[in-house]
Amino acid sequence: MKTAAELKFGERGVINSIDGSHPSSRRILEVGFTPGQEIELLSISAFNDPLAFSVRGTIIAIRKNEADCIKLL
Amino acid sequence: MNNVTLEDIPLITLVGPPNSGKTTLFNYLSGKNYKTVNYPGATVEYSVSRIQKKFNLDANILDSPGIVSLVPNSPDEKVSIEALYSHPRLGIPDIVIVTADASQLSRHLLLVKQLIESKFTVIVALTMTDLLQRKGYDISEEYLSKKLNCNVVKINGRTGNGIDELIRATEIELSKNKANKNTEPVMFNSSISLNELLSVYKEIEDIERAVVFEINGHSCEPNLLGANKKLNELSKQLNNIPKNKIDQTTLKIDKILLHKYWGLISFFIIMALTFTSIFWFAQPLMNLVDQFFGFLSTETISLIGDNWLGNFIANGVIGGTGAVLIFVPQIAILFLILGILEDTGYLARGAMLIDQPLSKIGLNGRSFVPMLSGFACAIPAIMATRTIPNKRERLLTIFIIPLLSCSARLPVYALLLAFLFPMDRSWIAGLVLAGIYIFSIVSSTVVASVINKFSSKILKEEDNSSFILELPTYRIPKLKVVATNTYHSSMTYVKKAGTVILMLSVVIWFLTYFPNYNPKVETNNLTKEKAEQLISSERLSNSYAADLGKFIQPVMRPIGLDWRVGVSLIPTFAAREVFVSSLALIFRATGDNGALQTSILKEMRQAQITGTNQKLFTTATIIGLIIYFIFALQCISTLAISRKETGSWRIPIMQLVLFTSMAYVFAFLAVNGLRMLGIS
Repeated sequence: MKTAAELKFGERGVINSIDGSHPSSRRILEVGFTPGQEIELLSISAFNDPLAFSVRGTIIAIRKNEADCIKLL
Repeated sequence: MNNVTLEDIPLITLVGPPNSGKTTLFNYLSGKNYKTVNYPGATVEYSVSRIQKKFNLDANILDSPGIVSLVPNSPDEKVSIEALYSHPRLGIPDIVIVTADASQLSRHLLLVKQLIESKFTVIVALTMTDLLQRKGYDISEEYLSKKLNCNVVKINGRTGNGIDELIRATEIELSKNKANKNTEPVMFNSSISLNELLSVYKEIEDIERAVVFEINGHSCEPNLLGANKKLNELSKQLNNIPKNKIDQTTLKIDKILLHKYWGLISFFIIMALTFTSIFWFAQPLMNLVDQFFGFLSTETISLIGDNWLGNFIANGVIGGTGAVLIFVPQIAILFLILGILEDTGYLARGAMLIDQPLSKIGLNGRSFVPMLSGFACAIPAIMATRTIPNKRERLLTIFIIPLLSCSARLPVYALLLAFLFPMDRSWIAGLVLAGIYIFSIVSSTVVASVINKFSSKILKEEDNSSFILELPTYRIPKLKVVATNTYHSSMTYVKKAGTVILMLSVVIWFLTYFPNYNPKVETNNLTKEKAEQLISSERLSNSYAADLGKFIQPVMRPIGLDWRVGVSLIPTFAAREVFVSSLALIFRATGDNGALQTSILKEMRQAQITGTNQKLFTTATIIGLIIYFIFALQCISTLAISRKETGSWRIPIMQLVLFTSMAYVFAFLAVNGLRMLGIS
């Protein structure tokens, strides 16, 4: 299954589920990454990590390994 | 913090997610009562204030760091949540006002829901409704209030719209509370499953759909009474709510500032401009202040006469503190720029940009803001590390912060650089200063990476390393707020000059003037100027300071300096800036040439190592001194805050020993290396 970390620059996706085994999963949910939400990869840092996504009307930067636990439809 | 009487008057606690306009509301409610300085890195401790008199509500209001939910993720969030349940002095809040961004309702209602569930008396202050309206939507506060079963008030913390309604709602809730005062909040269950979290989100999304509606061109204020049906119909059209669009300007700016290559280039340009402008913008202002103190000191001598009293006031008081106050413009500019950067929303981007390189050396992108404020002062910087969730990364950040050149070192560098590069070439001094800052960044990252690699003994903790940070919408900085904070930060510096530095200056003056304050020297065949010089050098060499200096001399010689510099270095452990005033006192700069700094420099140029013809201050020894100041941890307050934030003396003692010995060794290597290369 595709994850948010695999989105290309400017690509959109809809969240299917969050991998609950990741230690950051609670915080990822709390900042608004929840199933059903559409996200877009807005920026990639100069060092390829972290990534910035649009979610629920704001921009959230998260690390690649954290974006990896956001599974897309 | 204010000396408010804390008994019996109600306590209102402000909470809210980061960037929800919480601190803006706090500033509006507390007005001039609010005196706590906000350094970059925003609120990390709570501040308490009495609500302004004009609102006619006698209550205390408490502001605490932003929280996303009632489950803390980092030490600063813990401070907030603990303040909610058991404030050590104030107890449990009577009312909790939660700020929620109306344009991001579905995210910000999570905290509101959790607070209501925990049985707090909650009032929701809806912020940024103007932003939502610009997108073509509005929100029904009545309907939201019904859905949440708590008070909801739309406010604007900038213009003050809605604040009166918020106060009224607070008053009503307070009187209700008085009637039945047994509403103890319950601890929030921090182990709720992710599925439960998701179902809360479902509820929130339903609420959002029900209360947000499109403004149709004809009637901006729909008739809300009996509008339930209409709203429900509307909500069907808003299934994938387009109001969740991000501010277009922000997206455009980020196309450049977060661009893969341009982003990094802009980052370096912004940082370089920040540090070089400290030197360049401040120069004309500094010259003015300098002239003023020189004039004051000369006038004092001619008014009181060249006796011990005139000397005490001109040198001990005016010379000592004046030498430090000259640098107020530079410090103010540093705080101003950091404040502007913070307020625009750029700092979060900076943190994102360098998260990857910082995480390579055991730090975190969230270390960026604390490190940046370390250039202003290590104390708020160490406190700002509370925003770093991972304990190991936080301890490592605290460890290296003293290596970043704080503003107390600016006067020292400025004086030493002015020695190396006279006025006509002051632009080089600006560049070299930027170089010193870069050098301090490089050395701190090297130290961090070495410690990260080799010493698991220093930092025992292991934890999940994480970087999740909201990038706020770009805003035009509120200059009034930034200016107020700059003013308070500069006043803190001025007050320090008026107390600690004045005191130390007086002590040093005393040590250098007594006991042989009126030495007997043969002055018959000498000019007045020569005679005065002979008298003051005779006075100094028999002084208490000279006695003290005999102990220090052997330590100072290897780095090319003598006891006079050594004596100036002792008080720097209380405040680094004192070095400048100590030098001024020891080398007896009276400012008779007009400007104070000019005469310090003149005396420094003439100074010779006692008993030799060798010049004391040379290019090599000045560079050595600069290097010493870059590394040495000479600040008792930093050690104290490091002890407090790390929980033991282990880290502060290691910092003191490691950094001060590094300072000495590197200064030694630099001075002797340069001499070997033929640069004296």
